[in-house]
Amino acid sequence: MEYVSPEGLRLDGRRPTEMRQLRAEVGVVAKADGSASFEMGNTKVIAAVYGPREVQNKGQQMNDQALVRCEYSMANFSTGDRMRKPKGDRRSTEISLVIRQTMEACILTHLMPRSQIDIFVQVLQADGGTRSACINAATLALADAGIPMRDLVTSCSAGYLNSTPLLDLNYVEDSAGGPDVTVGILPKLDKVTLLQMDAKLPIDIFENVMQLAIEGCKAVANYIREILLENTKQLEFRRGV
Amino acid sequence: MATTNGSNDLSSEMEVDAFRRLFPLRFHERHLLESIRPDGRPLGRARDTTISLGAVASANGSALAKIGCTTMLAAVKLEVMTPKAESPDEGCIAIDFHMPPICSPLVRPGRPAEAAPVITKQLTDTILSSGMIDLKELSLVSGKAAWMAYLDIYCLDADGALFDAALLSAVAAFSHLQIPVVSLNDDGRIVLISEENSGAMWEKEPVNKEKRKLKLESVPFSLTCLLHKNYILADPSDEEESIMETFLTVVLDSSFQLVSLNKPGGPGLAHTSAIQDCVGINKTESERTSEDIG
Repeated sequence: MEYVSPEGLRLDGRRPTEMRQLRAEVGVVAKADGSASFEMGNTKVIAAVYGPREVQNKGQQMNDQALVRCEYSMANFSTGDRMRKPKGDRRSTEISLVIRQTMEACILTHLMPRSQIDIFVQVLQADGGTRSACINAATLALADAGIPMRDLVTSCSAGYLNSTPLLDLNYVEDSAGGPDVTVGILPKLDKVTLLQMDAKLPIDIFENVMQLAIEGCKAVANYIREILLENTKQLEFRRGV
Repeated sequence: MATTNGSNDLSSEMEVDAFRRLFPLRFHERHLLESIRPDGRPLGRARDTTISLGAVASANGSALAKIGCTTMLAAVKLEVMTPKAESPDEGCIAIDFHMPPICSPLVRPGRPAEAAPVITKQLTDTILSSGMIDLKELSLVSGKAAWMAYLDIYCLDADGALFDAALLSAVAAFSHLQIPVVSLNDDGRIVLISEENSGAMWEKEPVNKEKRKLKLESVPFSLTCLLHKNYILADPSDEEESIMETFLTVVLDSSFQLVSLNKPGGPGLAHTSAIQDCVGINKTESERTSEDIG
């Protein structure tokens, strides 16, 4: 099957180095300390952050840093066929762990000892790149909650089909069986915090694909900064500053 | 948040917030004496309601409903199944209400919220018994194939009146539902006809000619009221629900007949006159809301 046409267009009409349309909104869940919704094309996720708050399970309390917990779950209607078991299955557990470790790396946990920060992510529509969308939404939600972080964490995926590196795969391209590289970076510090790949790829091509994904992450970071700036201006305005 | 005294300096605002946290019942009762609630609503007024259809593109029917801050996302997905032997002409509806941890600080991951299965059961009973949907409309081939409609409702923000918002989103999702066109292929299995295949030859005619919507009779509308001493508070927020625990849910249909009444115990006792008042409030609020929604 042809994923990149001879004119250089993909199945949804994008160019190989073009991302899907991003849309983000901060403060969507009134009850949460911080929340955000993030859309990358047709993939829509909502992240909510509760914390820092008292540790619910005293046995897990740490005296020198905050405990970070994360849960990833998909809605039953998020994928094409209705899912039977939206959480507790292996994929969801793995992604919960990945998101937790990624965010833990950038939160300044030593500033909030004996407390707990909960990050919950709910996927409402899944069209490839859910891992990345969840990390981006979690970053926005943590910023909305005012939790101190070293830097934003942004994430994007890239693949390699029909001998072309492709940025931001959707579900059809992801299920094509080609390699899928997901990268999470701290843009200001220029450090990589998450790197996952499956399928096979020669090393020199891998470097190109990873570089493409990092460019995508930087583009997401710029967009997130704009959103946060806009949000802060709104808060200033409402306070009458 | 209205301050009970007029001055605006920070010290008096802190006192009001602290009073609200430390003595929530007295804080609310001070407001009830003036026949008003902390968010400025009169006692019998429900919060602003908005509905948006088609929120989930991948589902056959979906809707997002908001009552105040309470947000519910409902989606219906249709699957083909064989109908039961005792009702070969009827399809089936399965309703599931989820409260993911994002909706409230009280929901812990790994332990489902107490309210979720209770509301699932209430919704199933109300929707099936209200006669809103004729299950015969979900039938495809008598005795062999029928639609199973899976309705999943996700609470995205829990700020009181969960059942009302859930019922509203369920009704809206069913009103948005479009049944896809299918036909019976050679193996006797039902297949979806998508637009590209419409030119292809089929052994039998399509089972249903065009995408059609469900006919909804007697749409139910629900209102939850809190009963506290002599006061009746319509459409409580989460804070009010946690302080005054006695509530009464009244469900009326579009011709103002009573579909369901639910008062699950609680420390307050209600006179029959209070129940009639609640029914009256439901009528006024449902007229007001249907004007807003149109």
